[in-house]
Amino acid sequence: MKKIRLLLVDDETDFLNAYARRFVRRNVEITPATSGQEAIDKIRENEFDVVILDVMMPGMNGLETLRRIKAIEPDLPVIILTGHADSRALIEGMDMGAFDFLLKPVGTDELYFKVLDAVRARHRGQP
Amino acid sequence: MKTALKTLFNFIHGNPKGERESVEEFLNKSEDFRLLLSANGKALELMSEMTGAAQSGHPSGITRVRAYSVMVASSVRQMIERLCRMAPGKYDGLRDVFNEIVQNMDRAFAGPGRGPLGPPVLRLRDVRASDLPETGSKMAMLGEIRAELGAVVPRGFAITASAFHLFMESTGLDDEINRLIQIHDSSSLEELNDLAQSIRNAIDLAPMPSELEEAMREQCARLGDIRFAVRSSALGEDSEQTGFAGQFISKLGVKPAQVSDAYRAVISSMYSATAITYVRNRGLREDEMVMAVGCMEMVDAVAGGVIYTRPPVGGDENTLIVNAVPGLPCAVVDGSSLADSWTVDRETREITGRDIAEKEVRFVMTSGGQVRKEKLYGGKQLEPAVPDHDIERLAELAMRIESHFGRPQDIEWARDREGLLIILQCRPLTLCDDAPQPPVEDEESRGLAILTGCIPASPGAASGCVVKVESDEDMFRFPDGAVLLARNARPQLSALLPRASALVAEFGSSVGHLANVAREYGIPALIGAPGAVERLSGVGVITVNGTNGTIYLGRRKRMIELEARPAAAARTSDVSLALRRVLKFITPLSLTDPESPDFRPEGCRSMHDITRFCHEKAVSEMFTQGNRPVSGARRLTGQQNMQYWLVDIGGGTAGSETEASDSRQSITVDAVRSRPMRALWYGMMTVPWEGPPPARMDGFMSVLTSAAQNPALAPGARNDMGERNYFIVGSRYCNLQSRFGFHFCTIEGFAGDDPNSNYALFQFKGGGASLDRRNLRARLVAEVLEKRGFIAEIRDDALFARLEGVSQQAVEQAMAVLGYLLMHTRQIDMSMADPAMVIRYRDKFEAEIEELLEGLSEELKEAGCAA
Repeated sequence: MKKIRLLLVDDETDFLNAYARRFVRRNVEITPATSGQEAIDKIRENEFDVVILDVMMPGMNGLETLRRIKAIEPDLPVIILTGHADSRALIEGMDMGAFDFLLKPVGTDELYFKVLDAVRARHRGQP
Repeated sequence: MKTALKTLFNFIHGNPKGERESVEEFLNKSEDFRLLLSANGKALELMSEMTGAAQSGHPSGITRVRAYSVMVASSVRQMIERLCRMAPGKYDGLRDVFNEIVQNMDRAFAGPGRGPLGPPVLRLRDVRASDLPETGSKMAMLGEIRAELGAVVPRGFAITASAFHLFMESTGLDDEINRLIQIHDSSSLEELNDLAQSIRNAIDLAPMPSELEEAMREQCARLGDIRFAVRSSALGEDSEQTGFAGQFISKLGVKPAQVSDAYRAVISSMYSATAITYVRNRGLREDEMVMAVGCMEMVDAVAGGVIYTRPPVGGDENTLIVNAVPGLPCAVVDGSSLADSWTVDRETREITGRDIAEKEVRFVMTSGGQVRKEKLYGGKQLEPAVPDHDIERLAELAMRIESHFGRPQDIEWARDREGLLIILQCRPLTLCDDAPQPPVEDEESRGLAILTGCIPASPGAASGCVVKVESDEDMFRFPDGAVLLARNARPQLSALLPRASALVAEFGSSVGHLANVAREYGIPALIGAPGAVERLSGVGVITVNGTNGTIYLGRRKRMIELEARPAAAARTSDVSLALRRVLKFITPLSLTDPESPDFRPEGCRSMHDITRFCHEKAVSEMFTQGNRPVSGARRLTGQQNMQYWLVDIGGGTAGSETEASDSRQSITVDAVRSRPMRALWYGMMTVPWEGPPPARMDGFMSVLTSAAQNPALAPGARNDMGERNYFIVGSRYCNLQSRFGFHFCTIEGFAGDDPNSNYALFQFKGGGASLDRRNLRARLVAEVLEKRGFIAEIRDDALFARLEGVSQQAVEQAMAVLGYLLMHTRQIDMSMADPAMVIRYRDKFEAEIEELLEGLSEELKEAGCAA
């Protein structure tokens, strides 16, 4: 089976490593990015099936990153995963076409199912 | 999965364009419905947890309440997105309604909001009680008694609430701390320690605003090269309802150049595991905690202690208690040593009792300003810490302080080398509500006492297995409901008190910090229980009587009942208030009747309303079948051709993973790999149908009459599907739309790994008999399904039933049950006039279904369907 190509964007490397470990046996290939700009660059260079995106990051924040991702690849599903319980970010993110908005901490299973949902939705041509 | 998708695309591309669109539309609708159900399940689960927390009165922290609110909103928004995709353009108004409700929810969390920032520091001699909102009560009260009563207090300054806001906001620490609390969503002590460490790091790394740095430097320069005690003076810290008693740290012996670091350390202590536990248990809001700090000259004390202007744990109400230790008075408050104790008559100021303890250690200040522990030897151990006339002076001053503030006080004092009595702190005293009771000892407990004469620190009786706590590791392992046994009454132990049934400490003061917290929580406590650690270790279950100072072996049920105290009138906590306010926009359900004209997006008043609306509309969108992708269908063949056709949308049949699924004209049931379809088929075929019920004249006539009146039932009327019955299948999915004679039926199921998105749907209507009999049949089927967890609804002769949020296996069983009912309830509407027949059918159905399900897993195994 072909692996799901996941771009995981978060400025906290501990968090990136923890999820990389948790997904290692789950048919998911994780590409980490520690900033919005790095995420944009990677999306321009490579193909991904789904993006998990933090909101509060130094430099380009997650919502701005989301806006740019959608401008480059409107169909690429983006799951927002943030530590800030901020309803404005929820509304803004969903209005910009995020696939879902999740709060940290999130269980590995729950996140994995979301990733599968998003990938399936993408293959059906939905953002 | 990928292969399945490829097959799907092969299939799609193998069809004419129009057909491809119809397949996509169909698939999207089912998938969106599945995601909507999943979000619905999640939203309802979160709502019920929030309601539970509100009812218990113990929500666990504002951060979690806020997180739950946003998670509910996120799930509800997900439902809206899915519904809007299922029926484009029909329900777009929901988004505006949603946004408005979310804004209302946000307002429910808004605090009072702070005014403009004031000066970052205030000299203690300029501080009065009215400065409390800036300096916290500790510094405000010291300033007040200095100015109004002429009490001697240390020189110093306050770092204000404005300074705290400046520090938090200019560096973004406030957001970062909320984020850390959110992502550490933790309740175990170990996790809370990790959280505290992360917050401490963030506070240490944040740059100190230059305005604040400069103001602190100026104050230090004014006071000269002295050593400071840098103490917490948090807002609300010493209020009557919530004494944070010893939760926050003080830094002693601080040099002027280190004041800024000590300030960070004191702020950090607001987020220690102990403090967070306390804050959450008291229902306070972490996001509204404000730490003001007092920087005061260290007093080189030869003795010091605490005054209680009334006995805090019962006793003679006309007395005042003074505790004292030699050296710095930290020992009496942190419980690390026994203290001398005097009782003084409040009226006459005469000493009425004196209890000189055997003191083993004292704390002294070194020339460098550091605090050091010293052992006491010989006669010094039994020497009173201060002479009686100091006690009388202290009592006099304490009574003036009490009368100035109009309530009993808990006052910390020190005596310097010149004999000057200095007030270090004063705050309202937490008293036990009820009057002291005579020691209770029931018949059965007599003779079972294993330790007597301990000092009561918090009244009541409770039992539990005794667990000794010495190290941090012991704290992590402490089980809920145990009796906490410790050598010293350290304030850090307060983090365990919400989980302990009772507290026993060998050393410490029955009026210290830990005792205070025990009383706030209403946990029986004995502090000052010589030999307790040796006597109680490993004895198993004990009963601690915090009223008579005795410990008994085993659980003394009668005594616990006798000692039961009315629950303290629970103060509605800040977190509970915020939770209740926000729940008003989440849980009330006003949209109940789908037939009502208010059942529209604009009628939604709460998140619950939106979930109800979306769910109802989504189910009806599913039951309203649009174009189904049926070209390219293969006919199911067995021993004979059947009226069933099958469309594989991916992974539903053998070989479909390697070749285009439309390559053949027919397929056998054996080649079906869709588990829900195999389950459905098994239910349809396993028990042979016994045929139509015996014709009774009235039934038969009824059919004829109805048929004559209803044009839809006229011979030759075609259903939407052109008389064919179609299975649309995937490996985890099956949809069947069928027509048997006068009966119309839809069955659909999804059985995957995630219970939240699993479902089985059943719609059944029609029949040949009169409407009332068809209605009775619908009721009978509903009854059978409801027993199996379905939610069923009946409108006229139509039955809508659904099962959601269950395991894969449960959906498969449901499919088998639906298959059985589909075949076996045909034409029974004819017999519904006879109540005995209704009962006979019901019993027969239930018995046969029971038997049927026993063979299901074997059947699926044999069918070679991957689990």
